[in-house]
Amino acid sequence: MVALLGRGNELITLADVSKRYPNGTDALRDVDLEIDSGDFVFLVGSSGAGKSSLIRLLIREELPSSGRVWVDGQDVVRMRRSAVPKLRRRVGVVFQDFKLLPRKTVAENVGFALLVTGHSGEEVREETERALALVGLSQRREHFPDQLSGGEKQRTAIARALVSRPKILIADEPTGNLDPVTSWEIIKLLVRVNELGTTMLMATHNAEIVNALRRRVVHLDHGMVVRDEREGQYAA
Amino acid sequence: MRRLEYIGTTAAQGFWRNPVMSIASTFTIGLMLLLFAFFLATDRGLQAAVGVLESKVELAIFLEDNARVSDVLALRARIEGDPAVSRVDYVTKAQAMARLVDIAARRPDIQIVDTSSNPLQDSLEIKLGHAQDASRVAASLREEIGKGVVSDVVDNPQVVDKLLTITRVLSFGGLAVLAMMLIVALFVIVNTIRIAVHARRDEIEIMKLVGATDWFVRWPFIVEGMLVGALGAVAATAVVLVAAGPVMGAMVNFIEILPLSFGTTFVWQLVGSVFALALAVGGGGAMLSVRAHLAK
Repeated sequence: MVALLGRGNELITLADVSKRYPNGTDALRDVDLEIDSGDFVFLVGSSGAGKSSLIRLLIREELPSSGRVWVDGQDVVRMRRSAVPKLRRRVGVVFQDFKLLPRKTVAENVGFALLVTGHSGEEVREETERALALVGLSQRREHFPDQLSGGEKQRTAIARALVSRPKILIADEPTGNLDPVTSWEIIKLLVRVNELGTTMLMATHNAEIVNALRRRVVHLDHGMVVRDEREGQYAA
Repeated sequence: MRRLEYIGTTAAQGFWRNPVMSIASTFTIGLMLLLFAFFLATDRGLQAAVGVLESKVELAIFLEDNARVSDVLALRARIEGDPAVSRVDYVTKAQAMARLVDIAARRPDIQIVDTSSNPLQDSLEIKLGHAQDASRVAASLREEIGKGVVSDVVDNPQVVDKLLTITRVLSFGGLAVLAMMLIVALFVIVNTIRIAVHARRDEIEIMKLVGATDWFVRWPFIVEGMLVGALGAVAATAVVLVAAGPVMGAMVNFIEILPLSFGTTFVWQLVGSVFALALAVGGGGAMLSVRAHLAK
């Protein structure tokens, strides 16, 4: 009943959420979680702890087996299928493997998010330039993904996630494929995005980054929240 | 505008990215449409033939030589009162002989040896609205034989009956073959679009991730399916228009009663129907294919 007793500033609420897959695996068990608007939250835990399952519930790629999920005031579980695209326009997502389209340039990859959601050509151009400037890729706008470094690819993915000005940015292991120096560049960018007002939820295995930033840490273990600290460390 | 451009460009790319399957689909749809066009034309031709034959359906009543005029007129009035009867003509024995002489003059296999006597009878020729009424009207008139007016009743509806049977068989047979072709065409289209969907699965995943609606994802594939259908329709229409003349000529020679030309209106109706079916099969098949993917 966490959600119903909330303080009114929550952007994400999970109330008593469990997720069991058809093969019998319990990915999440009785998870209660609130994330306030403007928060920067690390989601940590070993592989298979339930981090990715939780993220998939937030963008309604999957439904929970039980419990309720609210994102930006929307009941994600009960919303109609036709309402899902609008939810996803308010939640930007970045993945470890970037998910860029190889035959599109950086600008086309970023603008694609607006193009397919019905924005005018003028809006696509303006917002794409703004997002590229934010991630520092304006000079690389005409390059193709295979001409970019790993860090640039991830910055392109972040620009695409931010181009529709989402309230929440979810990053699932965004530094998983990057070297330490590039990882820090990406983290600095995400901190900056958070400071500009976007709520951040980042799943990571990178203890160094978590420990250095000292932000809120939610630790999942076997699908359960075992630790939730305001200025947390990777390992308690 | 950008969206339309995206849909059009993506559909065209999808078609050319997998040319073998696209051309195979176009060919299959084209064949199905050709069959459909042939079915429509044959059906229309046979309907016309039945119509022509039906308009010629006649019963002939031969009158007793000594029948009283008042009785003949009363019989004629009674026949004309039947709603199935469209027209009744009185033909004298002299007129009948004149016809026979006229026919003999045009047919070398018929010769009239002696025209001094006329063994023919006066008759009433009855035209019916529909062939299926012939046997009923004939049966009721046969009851008049031997009552002093009617000596014989002649009806010959077998030709029409046979033609109606042929029409029914061709209609059912044609529909069955068409249904099978339709299923094959749908199957091929569904598989072609499934390959296109598979080739663009990463793009679809990203589209869904950034909030594109299902319809936005579907449209390029539906347009691609319709493109395949439309190209099949163009091919089928071209074959029909080129082959129509010779085939019709052969059919007219074979079944003499077929009308020589279908007319411009029918040709446009045929082309319209072919394109409508092509777009429906192409778009519908693509819808089925994408729906299965989006439901995953």
